[in-house]
Amino acid sequence: MILPDMACSHGSAAVTGAPVHVLPSRIRVTGGSPVSRTRESLIAGARSVAPIIIGIVPFGLVAGAAVTAAGLGLAEAVGMSLLVNAGASQIAATALFSEGAPLLVTVGTALVINARMFIYSTSIAPVLAPEAGRWRALLGHPLVDQSYAVTMTVGRYRDDISLVPFYVGSWLVLAIVWQISNIAGALAGAFVPASWSLDFAVPLVFLAMLVPALKFRADVEAAIATGIAAAILVPVLPMQTGLIVAIVIGMVWGAARHHEHPAEEVDV
Amino acid sequence: MSERTEFWIVIFALATGTFLLRSLPLWLYGHRPAPRWLERLLRHVPAAALTALVVPASLYTKTDGVYELAPARIIAALAALFVALRWRSVVATLATGMVVLWVGQALLGG
Repeated sequence: MILPDMACSHGSAAVTGAPVHVLPSRIRVTGGSPVSRTRESLIAGARSVAPIIIGIVPFGLVAGAAVTAAGLGLAEAVGMSLLVNAGASQIAATALFSEGAPLLVTVGTALVINARMFIYSTSIAPVLAPEAGRWRALLGHPLVDQSYAVTMTVGRYRDDISLVPFYVGSWLVLAIVWQISNIAGALAGAFVPASWSLDFAVPLVFLAMLVPALKFRADVEAAIATGIAAAILVPVLPMQTGLIVAIVIGMVWGAARHHEHPAEEVDV
Repeated sequence: MSERTEFWIVIFALATGTFLLRSLPLWLYGHRPAPRWLERLLRHVPAAALTALVVPASLYTKTDGVYELAPARIIAALAALFVALRWRSVVATLATGMVVLWVGQALLGG
């Protein structure tokens, strides 16, 4: 078992008065040393993204292969992944650049694709910032779809970990796997056959994470509104803007409905 | 300006812009309390964002910027959704979705 059972993370992990020996063995109660708690939180974060790493390999390969196909080298592929750290926008920017688009259009398009991270950052700030202190602006860099998702749907409900190292640990694994597949793609081209459809692993893991995020009736309605909007808008709106519009529609719908049914829990 | 230099300009501009997008809200948090309407909006971001990432990738394949309905993906995503709702296991959801997709692609050819 790679990932702690998500249903369990709301329940038994949070039992405070239970004797230690009845807790599931994977939830270790540390002796209170801050160093070991930080290390265990890093490892817990790293483990929480384990199921997703197979899915990011094809994207890393494509991103690396695109850079060398555009006539650029390994330094550009590695540098771009280290500095930008946002795969979809990297692939888009590289494609536009190699098609000869103006630099402003190239950068502008890629930034629109990353605009959802502004929403993620606003949403994760109340969870991360109180633990993070004055260097919290640096915590923006590790904010990717997967680290956001595991921190918001799993990490923050666990009281046996510190959230900042959990979050950083989840990103470190993603960044290392991404960089390795990125380099492999830059050197050898995208050699995993597209027919294996390994890219499908990414939405599947997000789907598994979505279920525990549906706690209230308004969450379910927000998800349905977003899903309908995304199904219609993503194929027709340019530059992946359909994604952001769909998220905003879901947010607004959920907020409006939450007002009408403030505390209706659902059992999904 | 060489092509390399131009690409490094793209990298630095994109890196700076992306860093600002994801860091500003974290950095500014706590300077004044978030208004209630903002809190209400943000409560549903995880559900909305995950759905937005799942749905298009489960309905369509994209080749050269053209979206096409992908029946095998739709069936695989529905099977995975059932497993996710029933057992709440990431590994089981992932395994079910991939196996059903491969079987579906073998039978439906795509």
